[in-house]
Amino acid sequence: MSLVDFSSDAFIVAFFLYCFGFLFYGVAIIGRKFSNRNSEDHLRRWGRIAFITSLLGFAAHLTFFFTRWAGGGHIPTSNMYEFMTFLAMMVMLAFIVVYAIYRKPMLGFFTLPLVVIIVAFAAVFPQEVQPLIPPLQSIWLKIHVTTAALGEAFFAVGFAAGLMYLLRVVDFNSQEKSMRLQQRWVEFTLYVVVIIIAFIGSVFSFRGMGYEAHFIQETVSISSQGVESTKTDEVSYSMPPIFKPYNSQVQSMDTFLGVKEPLFETPSWMKGVDAARKLNTIVWSIINGTILYGLIRLVLRRRIGAAVHSVMDGVDPDDLDEISYRAIAIGYPIFTLGALIFAMIWAYIAWSRFWGWDPKEVWALITWLYYTAYLHLRLSRGWHGRKSAWIAVVGFVVVMFTLIGVNLVLVGLHSYAGV
Amino acid sequence: MLSFENTKCECGHQNPVGTVLCESCGKPLEASEAASDMPLEMRYDGVARRSQKSNPTIIDRVWNFFSSVKIAVRIIIITLLAAIVGTIFTQENAFVSFDPATYYEEKYGWIGKWYYKLGLSNTYESWWFIGLLVMIGTSLVICSLDRVLPLYRALSKQQIRKHLQFINRQKTVYSAELKNDPEAWIGQMEEQLKRKRYRVHRDGTALLAEKARFSRWGPYINHIGLIVFLLAVLLRTIPSWSMDNYVSVPEGEIVQIPKTNYFIKNEKFTVDYYKDEELPEELKGTNRAKLYETKAVLYTCSENCDDPLLEPKLEEVKQHDILVNHPLSYQGLKVYQFGYDDTPKLKAVKPVLIDKETGQTYGPFDLTMRDPELNYKLGPYTLELKTKYMDFVIDSAGEPGTQSREPNAPAFIFLLKGPDLPEGGVPYMYFPKQNDKVRFSQDAINGDIGKRFEIKVPKMEDVTFAAVVSTLNVRVDKAMPYIWVGAGISMFGLLLGSYWQHRRIWLRVDNGRVSLGAHTNKNNYGMRAEVAAVLHKTGIDVEPKSLDNGGNKS
Repeated sequence: MSLVDFSSDAFIVAFFLYCFGFLFYGVAIIGRKFSNRNSEDHLRRWGRIAFITSLLGFAAHLTFFFTRWAGGGHIPTSNMYEFMTFLAMMVMLAFIVVYAIYRKPMLGFFTLPLVVIIVAFAAVFPQEVQPLIPPLQSIWLKIHVTTAALGEAFFAVGFAAGLMYLLRVVDFNSQEKSMRLQQRWVEFTLYVVVIIIAFIGSVFSFRGMGYEAHFIQETVSISSQGVESTKTDEVSYSMPPIFKPYNSQVQSMDTFLGVKEPLFETPSWMKGVDAARKLNTIVWSIINGTILYGLIRLVLRRRIGAAVHSVMDGVDPDDLDEISYRAIAIGYPIFTLGALIFAMIWAYIAWSRFWGWDPKEVWALITWLYYTAYLHLRLSRGWHGRKSAWIAVVGFVVVMFTLIGVNLVLVGLHSYAGV
Repeated sequence: MLSFENTKCECGHQNPVGTVLCESCGKPLEASEAASDMPLEMRYDGVARRSQKSNPTIIDRVWNFFSSVKIAVRIIIITLLAAIVGTIFTQENAFVSFDPATYYEEKYGWIGKWYYKLGLSNTYESWWFIGLLVMIGTSLVICSLDRVLPLYRALSKQQIRKHLQFINRQKTVYSAELKNDPEAWIGQMEEQLKRKRYRVHRDGTALLAEKARFSRWGPYINHIGLIVFLLAVLLRTIPSWSMDNYVSVPEGEIVQIPKTNYFIKNEKFTVDYYKDEELPEELKGTNRAKLYETKAVLYTCSENCDDPLLEPKLEEVKQHDILVNHPLSYQGLKVYQFGYDDTPKLKAVKPVLIDKETGQTYGPFDLTMRDPELNYKLGPYTLELKTKYMDFVIDSAGEPGTQSREPNAPAFIFLLKGPDLPEGGVPYMYFPKQNDKVRFSQDAINGDIGKRFEIKVPKMEDVTFAAVVSTLNVRVDKAMPYIWVGAGISMFGLLLGSYWQHRRIWLRVDNGRVSLGAHTNKNNYGMRAEVAAVLHKTGIDVEPKSLDNGGNKS
């Protein structure tokens, strides 16, 4: 067995240990109400079990990282799969640091599912070790990517604590107008999380079924000399086509639930790279996510937010506010160093300029400005608590867009981190 | 607001207008602050800032505007939104070969058209975006000056015995009757606090303990660094401070770097791809680059540098293998691997002139693409070179022209003279490349003369191609050291301000009752834990949480 194969196994072990860690945190938090024993004892005992399980998961994750490094010959942070797995590892590290300060098992109950989702999301992308292209052959691949990811990981913990704060303080029984608005937004946030889970689930289910559909797409383009030319491309889907590519013919298509033909055609103005396939994937994710959300609602018989809210009593919201702020305050200098300063140094060495308004650079700056605004708002009265928590939650969306959205939606120099 | 305000505190200290907490004893002065029982507003220790002058002039008003953190946050948010808008479509500077006036509309429709018309295709160079950055810079300077000086004054002359209201309205408070002797207990506290690395000052039964005051300067150091950084960015616009040029150097040749006395030689250019066995399954068969390398030699020129007719006098100064992450660097000049071109380009051909009627051939003659001879003698005939095009094109007006100086589609117009041809000669157009000859229909252009004569290359050996061209990016950026210094200062300040917290503990004992208040600029959780730990050492057990005076709530 090669080192890389071994590291893949370690990765799967880490994934399951994280799942169990989450499960045990669930037992610690939810079970404390049903435990015969003193609930404090129950929380302490199961909290410790959950933390140790998570630590073992982290150890397996580290094993994955270093064996893949040794086996692949370069630090595994060079493509989307490797970066996302690394980000998940850093979120664990940030969680361990923050947990060491505050010792709140509740934090694990929210951070571990986040780690599980990121790990599963990483596995959507191709997992082979790809040898480095010349721009990536630099010591800064180690320095820039790792520090940037660690900074973002602390923002992720800030997000988890912010979401906890909201679930703790938003009263799901209240009929008051402003409270109902808050309830809706918290529920929407959870709905988005469910959609992301459904996206990962859909990718793996269809991959497991071996689903394939192929299209021949004709693209007509007019060159600058005014010459019209037609290009045909083959487009492959791994999910049943709800939307087929614009101006395309079915070449071969597996039937799915008796459907043999694509239902719709992607509108012509969607021209980005693989736009049709992405649209199709998004539509599938929303459909499956909505079904999954409905099932969860059926089981819980109330909104997810209300269900989580009910297991959170006894947690001090001020502590959550403080943890969220602290995580972000710890992450901010690391992010500045990794995602801006080290990035500028590397850009200066590799691309001959320290700053070039490349979309990835701009979005790193946007993330930085966003958290800069957050930290300055924390100086003002009235910006603690709920508002602050919302900013922390939205901030993580900005981070994730910088990490993934820029590569999927916008084009630029970072495209080699592709998918 | 302009009316007279009595700002003298009951302790006798005369405070400036705008003071929230007495500079000396800490008693809340401002009416709303004094009436509340919430924890005190401790920002900048409640001192008056310059922006709180009672009689503002125009300059004061501008100062006041930029000194507000709320305004600063607004400017940051607006800059952030503007930056987002700039990423919606590709910016103009990111592509070279399109005409932006038509590109956006063709690619993105009416949205693209307006994107271009509003100047958003050049967001980051636009006057309003740069204006926003200048405003951020101004705000940084004024916000910092407005606060750091009064804060410095307040922290350097602190009273030890604070007003009871001041102590009891901190975020971390403790108050109880003392069981043992106050003097002895305060002594114990002093010792325990010193163990926790506090600097302790005593004034009878009052005590002030303080640590990590330097962390308060972190944000200001950070802002100074950012200002240095922004000024350095401005410096880059000085013309002689920066240079950004591209040179294409064929293998084996020496080329002058434009507008400098430097010459650079490309001794060897290598592009290397990963072999199939090095690639994972799904990448096999693809060209995945492994190495781009130009073995380069840099020369300085001392004589005949700009005269193409004379041989320049060169002196070698540096040899370097330029890789993507490994530029050549010499006295502020940096040379980067940018690209390469290995598409075959004609360097020279050896054609012959054929008389189709007699089958007689004349020549061959040497025709080089760069700097060709002007006259060729071929038997009884002569060729006189009238015009040449390196990259031939018929433009929109139907006129012949050249798209570039690269010999992508070379074309030559000769004047053919000789026996039984008109006195002034006959023009003959010659495309050395076969596909150009067909594409631009050489025979139709030449007409009758083309039916009688033909210039052509008889065999492949008579064609020489130019070597692989390596494109190098030559840069000078004299502001870079200042950029890095600015970034370094900023980072240093950020570390100071983020990972250390300024903590102060005041306590006083009045008639056997101790009142303790503690303040930190960050991390009240840690502050409470530390106070509880110190109290514990002196025999007082309290839960850290019970010290919380509230005030985190929105």
